Amino acid sequence: MILRDVSFEVREGEKAVFCGRSGSGKSTVLKALLGLYPLATGAIYFEGRSLDRDAVAAIRACAAYIGQEPVLGADTVRDALLLPFGFTAHRGKAPSAEMLTRTLLRLGLTASILDQDCIRVSGGEKQRIAVARAQLLGKRLYLLDEVTSALDPESKQAVLEFLADPGLTVLSVAHDPDWIARCDTSFELDEGRLTRAA
Amino acid sequence: METVDISQPKMVLLYGIAILPWLLLWAGGLRLSRDLWLSIARMSAQLALVGLYLKYLFAINDPRLNVLWIAVMLIVADFTILRRAGLRVRYFFLSTLVAVAAGTLFSVAYLLLLVIRPEPLYDARYLVPLTGMILGNCLQGNVIGLERFYSSIRKNENEYLTYLLLGASRREAVRPYFRQALSASVSPTLASMATLGLVSLPGMMTGQILGGSEPWVAVKYQVAIMLCIFASMTLAGVLNLALSLRFAFNELDVLRGEVFRPS
Repeated sequence: MILRDVSFEVREGEKAVFCGRSGSGKSTVLKALLGLYPLATGAIYFEGRSLDRDAVAAIRACAAYIGQEPVLGADTVRDALLLPFGFTAHRGKAPSAEMLTRTLLRLGLTASILDQDCIRVSGGEKQRIAVARAQLLGKRLYLLDEVTSALDPESKQAVLEFLADPGLTVLSVAHDPDWIARCDTSFELDEGRLTRAA
Repeated sequence: METVDISQPKMVLLYGIAILPWLLLWAGGLRLSRDLWLSIARMSAQLALVGLYLKYLFAINDPRLNVLWIAVMLIVADFTILRRAGLRVRYFFLSTLVAVAAGTLFSVAYLLLLVIRPEPLYDARYLVPLTGMILGNCLQGNVIGLERFYSSIRKNENEYLTYLLLGASRREAVRPYFRQALSASVSPTLASMATLGLVSLPGMMTGQILGGSEPWVAVKYQVAIMLCIFASMTLAGVLNLALSLRFAFNELDVLRGEVFRPS
């Protein structure tokens, strides 16, 4: 069993972080909320109701998951940013060129990156591009797995400031003390059990 | 013009031709003796059985028996496709059967009912070999298609899940893998069509010429069979991938690990 009796509450706009050793189940919590792990036994509850197809669809619609190595899924950065707008769910809502530039600038990136090949961008840039894409989609819940790990101090500052937006709720997994210090709540996981909440 | 029969002593002589490659493989350090002779023995036994069966099938020429034979071929093809694609029969038996049957029977019906029109229409001499050739090629294409499709999604799981989380539906999220798999499954047939007659004389045409047909008639049959193979393979491939989606993913659109056969 990977997780057992993990129960927590995060309010809208709150920034929460899961800490713990490798293999303690931190990342699993984030992915389980997105319905990415089939349950062997037990159940997951979200807002008091069992995580069924509709609940997962609702979470996926409002949440962005960004891991250590985000997949951009396109050839160029511009295509990666516009990728979701080719899907039926977001068709016709593609952002303007100005919007793209403004979002990139907020995250310490410039418009010149738009035409770069995704395979040529660094890990830190990938993470920021993934955050930018989530912002363009209007996501309000950010599930972040070590998202500041590959960032230089300047880029990290830009991301931290972006996430400080009171309208964004963040549920994260991190070892980075700078990020942990900025979080309202921290949870400690050990061997799949919640051992501390502060 | 009668085909020259091969007498039994000549058949023994024929098997002698396998001794040369066997010696070459052995000298090259490849310990394939057992596999080589087993394959030759299997091929001989299977073809002998088919020859015997077809002899009676052609003589009786009963539509019910013909349909039964085709049903057996389809079921064997179904199991073979799934086994070779590394997928569990339990999940995909129905989708693969429906896809391969629809793909194959569409072309066979087109060929027999609209083009060749043998008398009777269900004549086993046309129905069984043509179905067999089309089905055999569908089998190859579907093995490549299914294997490529599901192994790509499994290998690129993070990418697939990213598409899902960015708002793609299951069908939208699998589209890149669908394209790759379909292209891989039809490419060999496209390549073979483009070089047919230049690099090799195809089997069916050679068989017909040896059987006494005019080369021009043999050419027309070869064109017919190639077009039917391509149509069937594409139709079966698209249907198979599309129908399999329902069984391969859970209700939250995550690929089920248990659909793969343990390697």
